[in-house]
Amino acid sequence: MYKWFALKRIGKGVITYVIIMFILSALFNTVVDNTMRASIEEQVRAESVRLKNLQPEALQNFQQQRREALISLYRLDRPMLERIMFRTWNTITFNFGKSTSIRSSRGDREVLTIVGEAIPRTVLLFTVAAFFEIVVGIILGLKKAQKPGGFIDRSSSFITMIVYGMPTFWLAMILIMFFVYQLKLFPSGGIHSIPTPQGIMYFIDMLWHMALPMLTLVLIGFWGIAFVVRNIVLGILQDDYIMAARARGIPEQSVLFKHTLRTAAPPLITMSILSLLSSISGAIIFEGIFSWPGLGNLYWIAVQQNDIPVLMANLAITVGLYQIGLILLDLTYGFMDPRIKVGGK
Amino acid sequence: MKDFFGALSDFWKEFKKEKTGLIGLGIVIVSLLIIIFEPLLLPWKDTNTKWRNIDYWQDNTPSAPPVWTNWFTPTKATPTSRIDEYAHEIHDDEAGFVSETYTFTYHYDTDSSPQDIIFHMMGNGTFPLVCEIVRPDGNTIPFAQIYEEGLFDQDIRLSLNNDGKDAAFELLKQYVSEEVVEQLSSRSIQSTSIFFGALSDKSLEAFAPLKGTYQFKITMYRTDEESSIKAPYVIVTGDVSGLLGTDSEKRDLFSGLLAGLKWALAIGIVTSAISVLIGVMYGIISAYFGGWVDTAMQFIYQVFNSIPVLPVLIVSSAIFKPNIYTLIGVMVFFFWTGSVMTVRSMALQIKEETYIEAARALGAGHRRIIFKHMVPLLIPYSFASMALSVPSAIVYESSVSLLGLGDATIVTWGQILHDAIQAGAILKGIWWWVLPPGLLISIMGMSFAFLGFSMDKILHPKLKTR
Repeated sequence: MYKWFALKRIGKGVITYVIIMFILSALFNTVVDNTMRASIEEQVRAESVRLKNLQPEALQNFQQQRREALISLYRLDRPMLERIMFRTWNTITFNFGKSTSIRSSRGDREVLTIVGEAIPRTVLLFTVAAFFEIVVGIILGLKKAQKPGGFIDRSSSFITMIVYGMPTFWLAMILIMFFVYQLKLFPSGGIHSIPTPQGIMYFIDMLWHMALPMLTLVLIGFWGIAFVVRNIVLGILQDDYIMAARARGIPEQSVLFKHTLRTAAPPLITMSILSLLSSISGAIIFEGIFSWPGLGNLYWIAVQQNDIPVLMANLAITVGLYQIGLILLDLTYGFMDPRIKVGGK
Repeated sequence: MKDFFGALSDFWKEFKKEKTGLIGLGIVIVSLLIIIFEPLLLPWKDTNTKWRNIDYWQDNTPSAPPVWTNWFTPTKATPTSRIDEYAHEIHDDEAGFVSETYTFTYHYDTDSSPQDIIFHMMGNGTFPLVCEIVRPDGNTIPFAQIYEEGLFDQDIRLSLNNDGKDAAFELLKQYVSEEVVEQLSSRSIQSTSIFFGALSDKSLEAFAPLKGTYQFKITMYRTDEESSIKAPYVIVTGDVSGLLGTDSEKRDLFSGLLAGLKWALAIGIVTSAISVLIGVMYGIISAYFGGWVDTAMQFIYQVFNSIPVLPVLIVSSAIFKPNIYTLIGVMVFFFWTGSVMTVRSMALQIKEETYIEAARALGAGHRRIIFKHMVPLLIPYSFASMALSVPSAIVYESSVSLLGLGDATIVTWGQILHDAIQAGAILKGIWWWVLPPGLLISIMGMSFAFLGFSMDKILHPKLKTR
């Protein structure tokens, strides 16, 4: 049963991904055409430099032939719909080609390597931050739900609304200004010191670099989570079995953490994954401020150097990660709450 | 219609109890008023059109802190000011020469000399021009004598710092001993610190400020009837400037932020209003017709809903370099999904109500049922959802601008932050450049959050208490 539900959901996710990639390929078709033509020209020029002892005519002939061969290889001479299809296929098979200027840490220009290097760093930063956000958020949310309308509830709701429209990158700027340049507590950016320390110090150094970006994300993130937790828990606390548990004399802590939290688990997990997804897609450019070498920083650099292949690949990967997150969301939800698997047969 | 106003006044009665909602409403109304009176409030009137014009800002000091920082420092810095009032005299000497003198008065009572004194006027024709500075000790020093030829309404700009170096050096020689003078050249001194210093035979740095009333005189000798100068004014360039200081490009930040307010509000309100309207209609139609229409519409919705907005927004802005209106369009294109699901589930309930069935039995068309019986019930929800989606529209625009992809013909808060990052304001600690734009974005977001959450609370009374 669950197997079918899972397969169906994954299949749907893949189809959605292909459709999105098709739309994006169609949208950015002209630009990608131009970048490809430019890179073909570059390649032809590089090849003809190597051939030294050639008559000018023969050289021109050779260049013409190479150009045509490459253009037909990349299907630039085909009709537009086919080009778009071809590019969609390339994207979903992770065949992104070469960047125009950005290089990976080993110095090659394979886009997949460049983006591949960035993914783990982004995932690391955002998942660890999300973990802390959720822990703090759940604790605060439970406290809020215990006494709705009380001081903690009202004051933290007030702060929730204050940070609601606060840009993460701006808070990052302020915290850098204060903690890095005033107090000199943290490094100004990057993921490692130079030279990179070895052994156990490697991780401590990375934690030290991670502290401030994480603090920024958590400071902005947990208020919203607490607010949602409060509303979910408040709904559950009105149920009869909670009243029964209280009437049986079960201590309040136990009622909250054992009875309430267990029922609240599925929506809480949904919300946690959703908040992780939204912070990856929404706060991603804040990496640029911390020069945290993840996907967001890659967007920043690619925009500045106008590196279209990297930009497109970055987008494809971000959309893919987002899609995977949404699938995981439904799968865990279906796993936790059997009622969801309706129509799974 | 009567029902609608009745419902509105009921809503207002409830809303009045929400303090945060009222604060939010207050901030939004104040911002609207500020936008209406923007031409009166702007210290630099052409900020909207000349934000990126270097000449327009040339008389300011770069990276000057706000004026009110003087309250917290022991030594008071000179604020930048513009003197427009002058005394106009016409002299007629016996030989028949006519000269016009414009005298500006300036009270100097701060602890550090101005950065520069800049004279501006419009010149016409051919004439010799003499600029003088009269110190409180009675010393009159002519610092620039120039001969203008064949001008036709041209701007003349004289700077005390650049054009008065030789005069300042001459003045210095009268007070300071030979040995000190020998170590100096007229290029290496700052003229204003000499003109505004209590000169004595000490080393250069030890001059105390000479406080008192200074006079700046522009004298123009008429050579013929046509020659004249118009609209002269003097700018005292100081170390502190304006309500919120200046950036490294000498731009007045208060003007920039004020000019950005209307764009923030326009981006937020237009984007959220259009996208919520689309989303509400989409949800209602999807729920009302059901069947394969619903299935198809839900599929399209899910595709859109699984696109991360900001990355797509960044890439499309990097590739298409949109102006502000197309940017709003792109945001609407991705934002409308926000309210669809809630509206659909609400509309599914409304659809089953008996009065809808009755309307259908009476032969009402689809359009009538949707617009007369379903939309009005969903209006309150859509207002709350509009208010709640304003902040993210503002933040997304500023994120795109932060990457330097904003519309270059306008000023937005995100662009000011972008410039701040580019110029290394964080590293240099120019807090008056970094703090206010983000603070304003946050306040705008906050006030709409106040509004939205209060409306939400009224519409979902269950969440109020246990």
